[in-house]
Amino acid sequence: MELLSDLWLGMSVAVTPANLFFLFIGALVGIVVGVFPGLGPSAGIAILLPITFGMDRISAVVMLAAIYYAAMYGATLTSILLNVPGASAVVASTFDGYPLAKQGRAGPALVMQAAASFVGGTVGVILITLLAPVFSRVARSFGPPEFFMLVMMGLLALVVMVGANWRYGVISALLGFGLATVGVDLVTGAQRYTFGSAQLIGGIDFIPIAIGLFGIGELLYSLHIGVHRSASGVIAYRSEDRFWPTAVDWLESRWTFVRSSVLGFVVGIIPGAGATIASLMAYSVEKSVSKTPERFGKGAMQGLVAPETANNAASAGAMIPLLTLGIPGSASTAVLLGAFLLWGLRPGPLLMTQNPEFAWGLIASMYLGNMMLVALCIFAIPLFVAMLRVPYRILAPIVGVLAVIGTFTVNDSIVETWLMLVAGVVGYFMKRFGFSPAALVVALVLGPLAEDTLRQSLTISRGSFAIFYERPVSLTLGIVTIVLFVLMSFMRRFQRSAGTEPGEPGEDITPKSAV
Amino acid sequence: MRLAFTLFLLALAAFYTWTAFIDLAPLTANGRLGPGFFPRVIGVALVVTLLYSIVIDRRFGLTSGEESAYARDIVIFTGLLVLFVAALHVLGGLLAMVAFMYAALTIFNRRRHLQNILVSVLLPTGIFLLFNTWLNAGIPEGILAFL
Repeated sequence: MELLSDLWLGMSVAVTPANLFFLFIGALVGIVVGVFPGLGPSAGIAILLPITFGMDRISAVVMLAAIYYAAMYGATLTSILLNVPGASAVVASTFDGYPLAKQGRAGPALVMQAAASFVGGTVGVILITLLAPVFSRVARSFGPPEFFMLVMMGLLALVVMVGANWRYGVISALLGFGLATVGVDLVTGAQRYTFGSAQLIGGIDFIPIAIGLFGIGELLYSLHIGVHRSASGVIAYRSEDRFWPTAVDWLESRWTFVRSSVLGFVVGIIPGAGATIASLMAYSVEKSVSKTPERFGKGAMQGLVAPETANNAASAGAMIPLLTLGIPGSASTAVLLGAFLLWGLRPGPLLMTQNPEFAWGLIASMYLGNMMLVALCIFAIPLFVAMLRVPYRILAPIVGVLAVIGTFTVNDSIVETWLMLVAGVVGYFMKRFGFSPAALVVALVLGPLAEDTLRQSLTISRGSFAIFYERPVSLTLGIVTIVLFVLMSFMRRFQRSAGTEPGEPGEDITPKSAV
Repeated sequence: MRLAFTLFLLALAAFYTWTAFIDLAPLTANGRLGPGFFPRVIGVALVVTLLYSIVIDRRFGLTSGEESAYARDIVIFTGLLVLFVAALHVLGGLLAMVAFMYAALTIFNRRRHLQNILVSVLLPTGIFLLFNTWLNAGIPEGILAFL
């Protein structure tokens, strides 16, 4: 009953004209962000974050979260129509999505992907509703050693999963930690790495770094692979084709929806694993349980439904550690966490008790957001198909303008704007050589928490590191970290054997080829 | 190129670590962890991992990285972004946006003059109105302030 009353509270917060309007805007922008190659939810949220500063904080967070989960809906459109995955998490959707479109079944494929995304997203939100309070209750007993172990667990998972190899992942995370130490040390008041600059006393803000790494860095990388020099591509969609899926499509996929939702959600909770792994695993599971596995790769509807359901459920699953522990598992959730912190909302075990209207308002908005998205994805297909015809050579300068103006207007700071540009160039080289901008941003956001909890732990234990394995919960988290490490290494091999390049975790954009 | 980038990171990491050891105390006067403890751990770990990475990359011949046929475009676009940021206070946000958009479109979207002019005027105007009027964010006026 308490759960229902909490959800009702959330609905009363979410269902206001302003919040519904910004939810709709977030959903629309998220799809657009997903549709265009070279953009992604991390870049989309980071670039558009400054726009939310004039808004009410709940409306702002509802809109930014909608961009996050809507991007997954949009990214699939290019997988089906152009055979170009808009993000690494929808690579598996090209396997059967594009063959379906080539067979003249683009309409049914697009409708089924929208339905699959809706089912995955909604099941994910239902599971968040049920599990977030449980996670929150458990995490309330955590002390500094447990939180330090959690940060380490999240980062370890991330560095194993992302980038070209674990070395580059570790280097990226350490760079993020290093940037996080710039500014005044809040415990002793000592200045670190400020070199006498007043601009650096407050530390390095994550917004210019995130916009630079994900906005400009991705943009330059898209130029690197020549997205701007290619034609818009042949879009495999004709409005006169049969639009709605057949009864056979629905019947064949009914258990795929169920299996992939649960699998996607569980994988999504694991930091670093994310939507890419979830979608590939779901595809593989469906192929292995299918009575006609030979149809996979040639236009099997289950082959499209499985990854689509799983990646959306995984996006929802990633919200659990974010909301209840304050630990982001991917670049997008790190940027979301940064946005929450900017708005004075600290995700963690106490969020649901101290800010119930925010936490439940956000969860309730995700139910409504998924409903809006399925309607948008089905009825606005011609609009998004038209958008796909906008060439990247026009889009790139627009992204550049938004990144520069967006960064400048946050603090009216030209220094931060230059910093964003430097981060963009560094981000391009990181991306090009297989480093992980995602791990850097996650470490930058979590750096102060890691340092504070390490200090508090060692103060409690009078300098003894034994505190990390003498406390049962801390020890358990340590063991879970080791198990996850082994599991992640296995998943990584799985990802490689599935034929996808190691990209950023989950939902990040990884344009695979020029259009 | 990969080696150059890794060496650049190594130089940064070495400077970071050196500063942590020279300027920042690892412990406070009462024996608790000081401002230099965390940076020292990170700095040393970063330097060690980078050195190890350079050795491994050289062993497996991973020192160059994939080359791009569009390196010139990347340099031009980055240069335009630098000029755009430099011009923000001089020309003002609106004019700098228009100039950047027009220059970028002229280079990358050739022979579509009308489209380029329309996009580079209308879009920056929309962005200017969004930030300056709706969001009340201060976009620099630049030379427009004197008109």
